[in-house]
Amino acid sequence: MSQYALIGVYLIIALIFGVAPPLLAWFLSPKKPNPYKGEVYESGIKTFGPTWIRFKPQYYLFALAFLVFDVEAALLLPWAVAYLWLPLYAVIEAVIFILILVFGLVYVWRRGWLTWM
Amino acid sequence: MEQEIFQLSYLQAIVPELLLLVVGLLLLGVDLVLPEARKRELSVWAAAGFAIVALASPLAYLGEPQFVFGGMIGSEPLNAIFAFIFAMAAFLVALLSRDDERLEPSGVYYALIAFAVIGMDLMVAATDFIMLYLALELTGLSLYLLSAYDRRSRFSVEAGMKYFFYGSVASAVMLYGITFIAGLTGQTLYLGVRYLFASAVMPAWFGMGVLVLILAGVGFKVAMVPLHTWAPDVYEGAPTPVTAFLSVTSKAAGVMALMRLLVWIWGSLPSHAEMTSLIAALAIVTITLGNLFALRQKSFKRLLAYSSITQAGYVLVGVTALSPMGLTAVGFYLAIYAVTNIAAFTVLVLVSNRSGSDWLRDFVGLQQRSPALALALLVALLSLGGVPPFAGFVGKILLFAAALKSGFVWLVGAALANVLISLYYYLNAVRMAYTRAEEPVEPLSIPVASRWVLVIATAGIILGTILAYPLYHLLERAAMVWF
Amino acid sequence: MVPLSWYLLLAAALFAIGLYAVMARRNLIGMLMGLELMLNAINLNLIAFWRYLSPATVRFRVLAIIVLVVAAGEAAVGLALIVAVFRLRETENVDELNLLRW
Repeated sequence: MSQYALIGVYLIIALIFGVAPPLLAWFLSPKKPNPYKGEVYESGIKTFGPTWIRFKPQYYLFALAFLVFDVEAALLLPWAVAYLWLPLYAVIEAVIFILILVFGLVYVWRRGWLTWM
Repeated sequence: MEQEIFQLSYLQAIVPELLLLVVGLLLLGVDLVLPEARKRELSVWAAAGFAIVALASPLAYLGEPQFVFGGMIGSEPLNAIFAFIFAMAAFLVALLSRDDERLEPSGVYYALIAFAVIGMDLMVAATDFIMLYLALELTGLSLYLLSAYDRRSRFSVEAGMKYFFYGSVASAVMLYGITFIAGLTGQTLYLGVRYLFASAVMPAWFGMGVLVLILAGVGFKVAMVPLHTWAPDVYEGAPTPVTAFLSVTSKAAGVMALMRLLVWIWGSLPSHAEMTSLIAALAIVTITLGNLFALRQKSFKRLLAYSSITQAGYVLVGVTALSPMGLTAVGFYLAIYAVTNIAAFTVLVLVSNRSGSDWLRDFVGLQQRSPALALALLVALLSLGGVPPFAGFVGKILLFAAALKSGFVWLVGAALANVLISLYYYLNAVRMAYTRAEEPVEPLSIPVASRWVLVIATAGIILGTILAYPLYHLLERAAMVWF
Repeated sequence: MVPLSWYLLLAAALFAIGLYAVMARRNLIGMLMGLELMLNAINLNLIAFWRYLSPATVRFRVLAIIVLVVAAGEAAVGLALIVAVFRLRETENVDELNLLRW
């Protein structure tokens, strides 16, 4: 129980640290509003075009490549956890698996699918 | 039931699959470094690779039937035979793809074929539900991409899309069924589940319920009614060589996986008579439906699509027999069907290279343009229609005899009636090819690669009859292992 | 403890919702999401069976991870096909994919 109390105290302190500075700034700062300050800020350039646009399909290709490599790692997790108890063939199998993944990465890279156009 | 998970000698049982993996990766690698102008050479590389795999496939049988890799797959003569059939089909299709002018095959294309063949080999060899699911998915994912390969064609991309959604849902339903088997029996090995079913630990209704779920995944591959709706669309939209490949191989792999499930597991249920009548009913509906739709097609590609649904139905007639004789007949018919269908599709590719479409009327005057091509079409379609003396006739006799022996007289009667109906549209296409065109025609030359495909496939159709006895004997000995 | 049947019912419901989404949605991305939901329901089913009926078996956990990975592969292939369709047709609506009819 006392451990939970510790976590509670920790949470409260964290909240204070997070919330206090903006609140203080809001109380202490001088307020001189003008129309330019109210504009949408985007890297110093005025926004143009509608903001609700479709992404380029290429965005999805990156997402796809990431997704595949990311989830293949799920197969490596149990292997890594049990590494110390594994027989030799299991280690070699996983190395072959990783090599195939590396081949995939090299293929995607050499094809030029990783450069943003 | 305890089985070693790994021994070095087990690797021999998956030699075809390992070789295919190497072939696939090599093709991808060569594709990266090869200059654009020499891309056409890839088809020769790929064909050579598949030929090597076909030659090496007998190695997959370790000399006596046994389980390898913890019971995940079996090493049996039948698996080696099917590894050979699939590699040969890939070999022929790789050559054929070279001559399709509407297709620009790259390394990815051939690599996907190689990966699909790995999946199909494992589907036939799987003796564990996990392996069955993985093999099914590997086959499926490769084939979805292959059917959408021609990315500039709306038809091709749409076909890939449909195939993907139908196929993924079917395999998800199957997996749902597998979770129930695995969950309630604690087993995923076929033999373990069989034991629990046979000893009536699991009630019969549970077995039948799960069977229906699992039929969804496997029946989809076979394009069995009511899971056939994807087939005509995908077959029509996909590039023609891909259609030839998937209508032959993924169907065969699906039938073999289904047959193994039925013989090994559900055949041991105390009340498996209901199950065989279910399959028999599905078989006859599949045959009839495919026939009725094929009758009214104007596109030759679509006609072949419906005809291949019908052909799968004939194979299911053999599956219902659930006997060594049935299994032998199924294996024989699938092998013959593979070469026959590839021959028919090769003719289609060559004709539509000139005409730019798949219409049946493009075949008018084929005999004047190229007598050899017309003859190849004649042989292939007569064999599909079951006309003696071609191999399709022998195959159908074997299938129907096996079903008769197991007591399905009505089924064989209905199937025979359908064979007569199907003759109408097969002969109609042949008649087109032998009709004289009214306007003058230009001769049609057959490119070298396709010439080889036609020679090998036609030789297969004729040798299937001449060598029927030794072939049957070989398959029969292989089939006995299951019983 | 929550009984096993509740998990199975939840999984069945999720599976049915996913199946409905694949069949009824007209948007390709929505259909893909339905498919992924079906696979997640299957995994839930599997893990519930494992935890309640045979917690000592490793096979179930392995199968669950395999299902995860296959689901990712399926999503990748599906998205790639959707991108291809979109580039060609400028649409994600299934009703407009009607070239192939019987």
